[in-house]
Amino acid sequence: MLIGIDVGGTFTDGVLLDNFTVKEWVKVRTEEDLTRSIQEVLNYLLEHIAPETIERLVLSTTLITNLLAQKKYEPAGLLLLPGPGTNPHHLSLPGEFVILKGAIDYRGRVIEPVDLKEVEEAAGYLLSRGLKRIIVACKFSQRNNTLEKQVVRHLQHKYPDLKVKASFETSGLLNWVRRINATYYTLAVEEACHHFLSHVSHTLEQIGLKCPVYIMKADGGTIPLDLSRKYPLEAIFSGPAASTLGGLACTSPDITSVVMDMGGTTTDLALVLKGKPLLSSKGAAIAGFPTPVRALAVASLPIGGDTPLVVNNRQLAFGQRKGPALCLGGPELTLTDILVYLGYSSLGQKETIAPFVHDLADRLELSPRETAERALDLLISLLEEALTHMCKTWEEEPAYRVWQVMADKGTRPRTLICLGGPAEGIGQLWAKKREWQVIVPSYAKIANAIGAALACTTLNLDFVADTENLVFYTSIGGKQGTLERPLRTLDEARAFALSLLKEMKGDWQSHELERVEPLYAEGFNIVREWRTRGKIYQIGLQTPPGILGTVKEV
Amino acid sequence: MEKTGLIFFPAFDWAISPTHPEREERLLYTRDQIFEEGIIDHPKIMEYKPRLAEETDIQRVHFCVPDVKSQTTTAHLISAGSTLKLADALMNGEIHNGFALVRPPGHHAMRVVHGNRGFCNINNEAILVEYLRRKYKIKKVAIVDTDVHHGDGTQDIFYHDPDVLFISFHQDGRTLYPGSGFVEEAGGPGAYLTTINIPLPPGTGDKGLLKVWREIIKPALEAFQPEIIINSAGQDNHFTDPLANMKVSAQGYAQLTAELKPHLAVLEGGYAIETALPYVNLGILLALAQEDFSWVKEPGCHSGQLAQSQEVDRYVDKIIHYWQSKLAGKRPDKEQLFGPDKKYVRQRSIYYDTDQIYEQQTETVEYCPDCQGLYTVSSQAAKHSGKNYKIWGLSIPYHACPSCVQKGYDLWEKRIGLFGYHIFYLQDKSRDVYLTRK
Ligand SMILES: [Zn+2]
Ligand SMILES: [Zn+2]
Repeated sequence: MLIGIDVGGTFTDGVLLDNFTVKEWVKVRTEEDLTRSIQEVLNYLLEHIAPETIERLVLSTTLITNLLAQKKYEPAGLLLLPGPGTNPHHLSLPGEFVILKGAIDYRGRVIEPVDLKEVEEAAGYLLSRGLKRIIVACKFSQRNNTLEKQVVRHLQHKYPDLKVKASFETSGLLNWVRRINATYYTLAVEEACHHFLSHVSHTLEQIGLKCPVYIMKADGGTIPLDLSRKYPLEAIFSGPAASTLGGLACTSPDITSVVMDMGGTTTDLALVLKGKPLLSSKGAAIAGFPTPVRALAVASLPIGGDTPLVVNNRQLAFGQRKGPALCLGGPELTLTDILVYLGYSSLGQKETIAPFVHDLADRLELSPRETAERALDLLISLLEEALTHMCKTWEEEPAYRVWQVMADKGTRPRTLICLGGPAEGIGQLWAKKREWQVIVPSYAKIANAIGAALACTTLNLDFVADTENLVFYTSIGGKQGTLERPLRTLDEARAFALSLLKEMKGDWQSHELERVEPLYAEGFNIVREWRTRGKIYQIGLQTPPGILGTVKEV
Repeated sequence: MEKTGLIFFPAFDWAISPTHPEREERLLYTRDQIFEEGIIDHPKIMEYKPRLAEETDIQRVHFCVPDVKSQTTTAHLISAGSTLKLADALMNGEIHNGFALVRPPGHHAMRVVHGNRGFCNINNEAILVEYLRRKYKIKKVAIVDTDVHHGDGTQDIFYHDPDVLFISFHQDGRTLYPGSGFVEEAGGPGAYLTTINIPLPPGTGDKGLLKVWREIIKPALEAFQPEIIINSAGQDNHFTDPLANMKVSAQGYAQLTAELKPHLAVLEGGYAIETALPYVNLGILLALAQEDFSWVKEPGCHSGQLAQSQEVDRYVDKIIHYWQSKLAGKRPDKEQLFGPDKKYVRQRSIYYDTDQIYEQQTETVEYCPDCQGLYTVSSQAAKHSGKNYKIWGLSIPYHACPSCVQKGYDLWEKRIGLFGYHIFYLQDKSRDVYLTRK
């Protein structure tokens, strides 16, 4: 049996699945101490079940997102080794930085050595500014980490109490600014993340759960609990990923659709193409700073069932949440109330809402019915605008190869899967106004927990080898190495990359290597003075996000 | 915020041949440098997806023998189409300038295309100009070709077009492919002095380049008043380029771009794929985005080694003097230039280095007081392998007068089917009609 738990901002949902059938589910309020909510959910789900029968537990949590949003972390200083290129003084970064000598080029060659005396002075300056953590980031460190390592070693020797982190460990992808940001935030949340995970481990031990435990990642995959200590950022924004997979798990496995999850204050929209959730092309941003963390392409709108209706310049508009809907005892007329008023929802009584709609209509000099319909039209048009933008962004994703330009991206989705509280009403409305197929799964309210329970492990490897210099680099944990022999063909390189992925598989407790699909694979002849000196290979492999299966509807 | 559009199309799956300079590896390190900088996330830079040019876009410029399909691969259509996509973004105000960092290149492709010349099949800049005219009614365009090789294809296409100012500086044709681009090539009789060639001696550096820009090109642009400036942004003037002998640095190219302020820059040549391209391309991109490029420096490069000799200084001064007095002088009358026959005739042979083809062609331009006049070409090429084509083409200019249009169609009716020719082409730019008869 499988368990999925989604720790959301307001509620923590849990589900117990037996052979793709929902056996138990529960919704509890999320408490300040997240582990207590997790414990409460587990106690309920395991009331009549022996813990030994559980094969897997997946947790989706907002912990990291919350920590970052509330800025509950210590700032860090940055030591940067940019080398030639853009002016590093113009960079917009999350922490104070100092520019140092030392440079690597695109093929991993050292083009300028580090000046250790300068490093010491810079670190001394950052310490004098009250910083106790330092990030070291060198351009192209994913191609050669020696300079970063040299600086880190020197600092650790000189200042044993200082927490230092090198950027090459966080990402092997190109884009040092994203790498710097990710390293900064990894260091920022590392301790809190360790603390939380130990706490969770302890809780599970008490309950007697010994099955493999995973954390849901932003890309819709899962990562083993232990490994997530090393990659804490992977867990940011896992909420939208859980609901997207949940939408998929509650319908059919090869559907092309939009999953809409509407909560009290926000609405998430995600694209699913032939059963595969769409990944964002570049990576997630934290507090406006871009990172290389793979995430699903989710559009979040600050509108939900609790969004109140206001009048702005004599025009109808959406305001900020003040509380729940009127029909649920709240202070103001909200979107949920409008759904009730127009008969799209049976959550409350129309009579209690009517006076408020009339009042609003008077201020707008419209009839009450017109007012209510206009509110929903506004909502639909905002959702549609976000959707169109999302589809367009995907269709217009830059392409660097002929085949990518020619690839048929298919037609835009015409199916909407509605999840969350006001989902049913919105679904009916959308079906009426836009003539889409609308699906409101019977488990719409706990779809995110189902998504977590059924998420597949995702693994992603970007591999580069340079056979002239006999080196290779990967995107995972900044693994770099020497090639013992030149890889002569693309097939050999592919086999080598796959063997690296297999090595990782152990750590990731993934049993899904048969799902490995190539993202790209290309060989470049290195030709100098009309002679071929070697080859550069670039290979991308992944096990894509997806679900283990779909749940049976009741 | 004013944005710079970027289409980066390195065509990682396209090459002329595995070891040819125009191979998959060419923009690999440029990709590494630009992506590692994180500049793709820069709020001022908008990256666009490439798109394909359509057959009509190409027929507006070229007579492809025997047809467009056999002269273009998908990569060619994407390279040309990318410039059109940026043109759309420019014209609808999304961006204020753009860089098509694309391959394959195009500036050696002439009006008649029998094969690949100087790594080029179709002319990206010319396709862009005709598109801007057709779709956005742009009248005057300037093309500044900063590749080390003479942009002979672009020159050829606009040689009789008074609305397109073509300026090329390059290493002297006596010392480098394609062996043309001398000052005497200054435009046909109806477009005299809208072709400006500035041959420079081997060893010219940043100093000479910027001086030529400030003292010839800039004043010429100010006098011409183009609505759009296009830069054929070749990068083989770089001091490390393996195919040429100049001494220009990334700083020189970036400074030139910052001052030239092209609306659209299109990559052309440049084959120092490690030592030059990552830095020059970044420099150009930063200059277009009006960002600081002073940190863009080739590793291990000392300014001393890039100084140009006094001999070069003197030569540069001489050519500046030549063009300054030429452009300041009285322009001869068009009718006079056409001469007593009121007809321009040129016979020449053209060599296609990549495909080893010799083309023989005869061009004519009719004098018309009201427009650019009708253009015809008859051309024959013996290919290394395959068929020997003889073609005849007629071009009715974009701003043709009604009587020239009529004359053009009369001539077309008379000529098609003429014995000895395999293919006939009608290029009516005034009505955007392109016909082929076999
Ligand atoms: Zn060139
Ligand atoms: Zn005329």
